[in-house]
Amino acid sequence: MNEVRAGVFICHCGTNIGGFLDVPELIEYASRLPSVVFTMDNKYTCSEVGLAEIRDGIAKNKLNRVVVASCTPRTHEPLFRSTCKDAGLNPYLFQFVNIRDQCSWVHMKDRERATEKAKALIRMGVARAVLLEPLEETEVEVNPYALVIGGGIAGMTCALSLANRGFEVKLVEKEDQLGGTLNNLYRLYPTDEEASKLVQAKSEELKKNAKIEILTSSKVKEVKGFVGNYDVTVRHGDEDRLFKAGVIIVATGAETLKPVDIYSYDGEHVVTQIELEGKLRQGKLTDKDTVVMIQCVDSRNEKRPYCSKVCCLTALKNAMLIKETNPDAQVFVLYRDMVTQGTKYEDYYGKARETGITFIKYSPERQPVVEKGLVKVFDELLGEELALPCDLVVLSTPIVAHKDSEDLAKLLKVPVDENGFFLEAHVKLRPVDFATDGIYLCGSAHWPANIGESVSQAYGAASRASIPMSVGHVKTEPLIPVIDEDRCSGCSLCELTCPFKAIQLEETEEGRKAKVIAASCKGCGACGAGCPQKAITMQHFTDEQLLAQIVPLTEVKP
Amino acid sequence: MERKTKAALVIGGGIAGIQAALDLGDMGIEVHLIEKKPSIGGRMAQLDKTFPTNDCSICILSPKLADCFRHPNITLHTLSEVKGVTGQRGDFTVKLRKYARFVDEEKCVNCGDCAAKCPVKVPDEFDLKLRKREAVYPYYLQGVPAVMTIDRENCLYLTRGVCKICEKFCTREAINFEQKDTDVTLDVGAIIVATGFDPYDPSGIPEYGYKRYRNVITSLEYERLICASGPTGGHLLRPSDDKPAAKLAFVQCVGSRDLKNNRYCSTVCCMHATKEAMLAYEHNPRVKSYIFYMDLRAAGKGFQEYVSRGEQEYSISYIRGRVAKITEDHNESPIVWYEETQSSKTEKLTADLAVLATSLMPRRDVEELGKVLGVELDEYNFFKTDPLNPLDTTRPGIFVCGCCREPTDIPKSVTQASGAAERAAETMMR
Amino acid sequence: MTFRKSYEPDIIGFLCNWCSYASADLAGVSRFQYPPNVRIIRVMCSARVDPTIVLEVFIRGLDGVMVLGCHLGTCHYMTGNYYTERRMKMTKKILRKAGMSPERLLVDWVSAAEGERFASIVKDFTEKVRKLGPLGEETKLNPQELKTRLVAAKEALAQEKTRWLVGRERELVEDKNVFGEKVPQEEFDQLMLQKIEKEFAKRRILLSIEENSLSVKEIAMRVKASPQEVLGTIVSLEHDGLISVAGIEGNSPKYRRARG
Repeated sequence: MNEVRAGVFICHCGTNIGGFLDVPELIEYASRLPSVVFTMDNKYTCSEVGLAEIRDGIAKNKLNRVVVASCTPRTHEPLFRSTCKDAGLNPYLFQFVNIRDQCSWVHMKDRERATEKAKALIRMGVARAVLLEPLEETEVEVNPYALVIGGGIAGMTCALSLANRGFEVKLVEKEDQLGGTLNNLYRLYPTDEEASKLVQAKSEELKKNAKIEILTSSKVKEVKGFVGNYDVTVRHGDEDRLFKAGVIIVATGAETLKPVDIYSYDGEHVVTQIELEGKLRQGKLTDKDTVVMIQCVDSRNEKRPYCSKVCCLTALKNAMLIKETNPDAQVFVLYRDMVTQGTKYEDYYGKARETGITFIKYSPERQPVVEKGLVKVFDELLGEELALPCDLVVLSTPIVAHKDSEDLAKLLKVPVDENGFFLEAHVKLRPVDFATDGIYLCGSAHWPANIGESVSQAYGAASRASIPMSVGHVKTEPLIPVIDEDRCSGCSLCELTCPFKAIQLEETEEGRKAKVIAASCKGCGACGAGCPQKAITMQHFTDEQLLAQIVPLTEVKP
Repeated sequence: MERKTKAALVIGGGIAGIQAALDLGDMGIEVHLIEKKPSIGGRMAQLDKTFPTNDCSICILSPKLADCFRHPNITLHTLSEVKGVTGQRGDFTVKLRKYARFVDEEKCVNCGDCAAKCPVKVPDEFDLKLRKREAVYPYYLQGVPAVMTIDRENCLYLTRGVCKICEKFCTREAINFEQKDTDVTLDVGAIIVATGFDPYDPSGIPEYGYKRYRNVITSLEYERLICASGPTGGHLLRPSDDKPAAKLAFVQCVGSRDLKNNRYCSTVCCMHATKEAMLAYEHNPRVKSYIFYMDLRAAGKGFQEYVSRGEQEYSISYIRGRVAKITEDHNESPIVWYEETQSSKTEKLTADLAVLATSLMPRRDVEELGKVLGVELDEYNFFKTDPLNPLDTTRPGIFVCGCCREPTDIPKSVTQASGAAERAAETMMR
Repeated sequence: MTFRKSYEPDIIGFLCNWCSYASADLAGVSRFQYPPNVRIIRVMCSARVDPTIVLEVFIRGLDGVMVLGCHLGTCHYMTGNYYTERRMKMTKKILRKAGMSPERLLVDWVSAAEGERFASIVKDFTEKVRKLGPLGEETKLNPQELKTRLVAAKEALAQEKTRWLVGRERELVEDKNVFGEKVPQEEFDQLMLQKIEKEFAKRRILLSIEENSLSVKEIAMRVKASPQEVLGTIVSLEHDGLISVAGIEGNSPKYRRARG
């Protein structure tokens, strides 16, 4: 491929280009450009006729570069690339020049200058085309095994779903039994179902499924590799188990904050909601006649600005359970905002009000005060200070990230947010994916979630995780960086820059060098533009290819 | 790839339906994505920006629209409706009615020459009747498929047999008045319902003066006004006199948490009102907003911080109090009458514009769809699910996600959509 | 650079595929008109734009550069535009140092929905560059002198030390270091400025002795700096091994670029 033979196809797009630019003049200009051996104008290059003309042009003129000057690559580049491919030309030897959306349509009143600009754009396009290199898309195989970390409701649901799809799953749980937070709960809202029964039912299903291996009392010790090809080490008892995984799902849940030095918490007269559930389960509450619940404890403040979402409903649930065991009991719920969103939960709130629970709104500027057997609170709606003698105070404390979530984050090289919860790739577009391909997220490890949400997310993560496993391989991005190891000094700035963990330092005989993980790379070029040694070449967007397009207008001869 | 499973059907081309279709398509499963309107995109295409990141809605939606369109496993059926479903899980037979577009999708390049000549002007649905469009029109500028549509109810040729100017001026011969509605039968293994919501019509609360007072609008109308590609180019102008609106009143729970209308909470309005106030402030730092709420619900990731920022940096005052009524003064400025619950006093506030956060309701034709699908609706007409199996409808093999299940935000709709895709794939494996 | 009677600014714009390039397309679809002075080069992410490439545009004599990316926080590649922001900030500093108006480099963020805004950004920038005049009009330097200084600036931006520093900026200023400390932005900016000035000075000297060996005094005249300043930089260059003594004339050593 020594001689570059470029063909330039200029589209009229009906009158959209032809009506505003002098296309014959552009054709004449293009034909005089170095390396251009063939030019043609088409009425509609993207029509069947136009595409046939490209294929013919390539064959008859032995073209090894194709330039199309028409609309925008954002809609039509894939089409023209595959046309080139059909004609036997590597699709990355194709160059697009935008002379419609960014020329004829926006300079409708100045035909001469618009045509001059189009010439310059075509010249820039041809200059780049000459420097393009053929690129291949490769594929990396994906192991059809999933690792699910965490055996709570989210982890169990995800594991079961993937197993039902036909994939092998290893479920790793650090405690000695499955169930997670469910093991601390008594009854669930809004159905009143018993948590232990749910755990039992799910565990049975899991144990029966031949595709799932459950490793309790186990923790993930090391994870190496990339999407489709993870090497995982799990500490199981006193031995290390090594296995391969294609995808990893984080379902490690969260915990409830244990209050320290707040509201006279003592675990006996002043308890948390979880401790209350324990007491309810053991039937230890029949003698409590007055219970005061305080919402938003050490939460929605400067230290911890977020709302934990599940505590209002938990309080309602437990308040109604207290009334169920002791119908004469008086229950007060001291709240700032009642967060009972949607259809079922708003109804639940309505139901709670009907059982005679008293709701008292307090403001964060005037926190309730808990003394022995008495709670003082300023009722914002009545405008009065109230004193509530009570037998039990229940604190709704926030959901917080597990203390060891940062350790897991480091192992997997995934980020956590400022509150310690794992950070997803994109809040809206990829809520259960990590930015690193092949790792997914569900349940309270992501953000406080109730059971329904955890289940939805678990299915969502399973869906996403199943994609690379279903296809069996991942296509690697051809627009990847190429490292000149002689120049690479191992400074690791590229590793720091890349949010996809697609370029990492590895030991070689010559010291630490950057290596590209093609399966994870997105081709953005942030690493290349910052490399202190200029050791990185970005394929298809090389410095030379960019520089070739920097043509002053004075050099665009008529 | 070997076809191991049957195709799946996704009803609804909003963000939820699109995500479900993409996930299934990526898994290697063939998907039929059915959309009633001329183009996919749904409600998300009508929003300006989305909370809690305030990123541009159409910008994050467009790549997904393009992916759907180009996906080798997804067949897009726009201007189509499901008319019948028989069979059972793993083996459904679906009757689809495909309505004629009267434009050849293969030939049309969206150049707009036809619309430029069309003499008809009717209120545009996508822009909530805030501007007029022609009878041959793009459903919205960034819509997919990127082709024009002819409105059969208002086209002069289709109603009265005259005109046909569009056909004369189309250089691609893309106009085809001979197209007919067709019926298609599809065999699918699983169905996902993602038909979204309709906003509550606040004419049902006459005390709020909607339609009576020109400067009382709904939140969706506000989104179109503040959107850069909307009818006013993103300038927040009062409908009555086109003057810029600088004092905004946001009335929450309009039609929600209301014993007469909808008892439930629409979940997203506290957040979208905050967002809307922020957007107005970004356009004009002299804007002051007042949000009248009952309970401030900001429970999602980053939501509480978003609301706090609104209060501290975007000139938003949150006033706890239900709005009793809205009247107007001689300048047509809405006067909001409310009970300030913490002082128990009745107050009023005169604003330039009042924005009603209308309840998210099931689509007006959902009962008919429920019957066609053979699934139960709950007492609010949302598709009935059970809390521990939140994505399954009452009919095995039919799953549900997004706002047709329960009012919810975009991140949850997307998560549920992936979840429903998984349930569908799982179902078809058995 | 000859002064053209009816000067039309010649501008290159680097636009990212996902946001700014899309906004330019939308401007087209919506038919928002703007002057034809900008020619667009498409990149996948604004972070692809190496600062040395921006300098090259000016070295080739064009009058203005636009680098447009997604709004901060919405980059398609998540963090790319944060790097663009910091790199371009550094680039503006060195343009000023080279004697050019940094206003000739526009860095802005446009979303795919902002077609009209894109058109008005182009209109405004074209006017601004028109008022500034052809490249170099705002300086007293002749075109060749300006070009030499721009080449020195480009080389300074190609140096390992500057690239390393700007690449670490985000981590230093936003995350904590091993001691749990963050570097205040103002402190970092000072550091960056010093680094740029130092590297720029070095490269200017190296360029001045490209053809002939020169003494400190001769170099000082060439680069229009004081002999003390030049001497300080010479010491640095000797330390780096980039410069060596070619001979002595009278009492003064003559320096040339080091071989090898």
